[in-house]
Amino acid sequence: MEKVGIVGYYQVKPDLDAMMSPPDMIFTAVRGALDSAGLKRKDLTTVIGCTNDYYDGKTISNAYKVDAGGAYMKDESKVEFDGAHAALYGVFRILSGNHKLAMIYGYSMPSCFPYETVRILELDPTFDRTISLLNSYTAGGMQMRAYMKKFNVSIEDIAKVAVNSIKNTVKNPSALPEAQLSNISVGDVLESEILSSPLRKLMYPLLCDGTAAIILAPEKQSLKITDNPVWITGVGSCQDTYYLGERDLSISTSMEIAANKAYKIAGINDPKKEIDVAEIFGHTIGEDLILAEAAGLCEQGNGTSLLDGGPALNPSGGTMSGLTPCACGLTRIIEAVKQLQGEAPGIQISGAKKAIATGQVGFCAQNNIIYVLEGGGN
Amino acid sequence: MGEIIISKNILEEEKDVYVKTGIVAPEYNFWVGLVMDKFYDGLENKKFIGSKCSKCGKVFLPPRKTCGDCFAKAAEEFVELPETGIVKNFTVANYNVNERKARKLKEPIIVGLVQIDGADTAMITQVINIIPDEIKEGMRVKVVWADKIKGNPKDIKGFEPIGGE
Repeated sequence: MEKVGIVGYYQVKPDLDAMMSPPDMIFTAVRGALDSAGLKRKDLTTVIGCTNDYYDGKTISNAYKVDAGGAYMKDESKVEFDGAHAALYGVFRILSGNHKLAMIYGYSMPSCFPYETVRILELDPTFDRTISLLNSYTAGGMQMRAYMKKFNVSIEDIAKVAVNSIKNTVKNPSALPEAQLSNISVGDVLESEILSSPLRKLMYPLLCDGTAAIILAPEKQSLKITDNPVWITGVGSCQDTYYLGERDLSISTSMEIAANKAYKIAGINDPKKEIDVAEIFGHTIGEDLILAEAAGLCEQGNGTSLLDGGPALNPSGGTMSGLTPCACGLTRIIEAVKQLQGEAPGIQISGAKKAIATGQVGFCAQNNIIYVLEGGGN
Repeated sequence: MGEIIISKNILEEEKDVYVKTGIVAPEYNFWVGLVMDKFYDGLENKKFIGSKCSKCGKVFLPPRKTCGDCFAKAAEEFVELPETGIVKNFTVANYNVNERKARKLKEPIIVGLVQIDGADTAMITQVINIIPDEIKEGMRVKVVWADKIKGNPKDIKGFEPIGGE
């Protein structure tokens, strides 16, 4: 695959209840990303947004964000999965040879809609939705139980991973302030409210308003824009079946397949040794581990070993630093980019050269996408 | 639809903020489809009707039209399945989330994935008549039907333990 460069990015600081309108947020992110790369709106050839009609409470939810997104009179489209999927759309457009500069943004404001309730509308209306038993909490609880049972992982082990992510969140200047809980112990995590056993509140991210934007360009163009681009050297995505009763929730086959595709494209033979940083989008701490293992960062069932060595798991805190639906996968990409550029103050993994960043959508991460990112300019 | 409300003193400088609230409540009709219709009809007669993949023989309950793995028809053969099965997975839920709201439950409920004997897939259901501390994966359970049968998934009140494993 020809390299695609990430030449600019911007994150609107996550907020539990942002005092900004949707166009304000998107404009701030898109303008910020352009400024970070020293570019102008006229340089953009395509704009891909990730928004969700149900989250926005209106259909064709990108329609009134065109101007704020910099897309006026330009090629524009929308992806309704995760921002990381919008980035894939952008990669395709760049690799087609028809586009020189792609703006990708992902946005939502959970302060304006009941996230857990709206997720119910993802469910199969002929069964799951009728009986109202499946939701983010119960799905997360069953997934975590399946994982713990299959690999004999204790709840204390999961809590240790949660503590690690929360500690990283405290050090991450881009994290949601309310998620920056100092001096959290394993005991605190275990004693936090049980949402749906064994899932605890401190193993589940805080939903927050936010917007993330990145700019993609072909290799030559990237080098004209910046001397420090981060390269997308591989990408893979894979879709599982919707029905939880037909899946093995203890593992993520779709992430495994997606990761193997991405590694093959990027020429990664041993992700355990070659990947320095992993920014994983898990909807719970249990899912972080399942996805990290499926991405080959450690042996299956051994995710907690990542606390002791190997690729750095979510140095940003991952989703525990705040989860903005539609923006989350892009935030993972941006956090990885910062690491590879050596611009992650407080959370910098020294000498980071290769990273992965993941995105997902659906209950128990039905659909997964993974990027291999490499720093080092040329 | 919707109303204008004035939220009070949200900002530190005590500026009023106008918020438009609106409930998106168009009523949809979801077509159950010919395959799930068999399942619904079965429930009306207190029976579980699953479907079998024409290629790999996998038995789906609830039934499916297509086997995703084989990309073959999974609804040419329907099979009647028993009222018993095992708990494949479960979670003790402290919240109820429905299409209107998410609220904390006074008493937790057990949400489980139950695989009916003879089926290769599990379905989401409630496990009832057992205290949360006693439930285990692999436990044998039997369906408890709702008092009033209406021919929809709510006819399954839940599954209760039948003893032994």
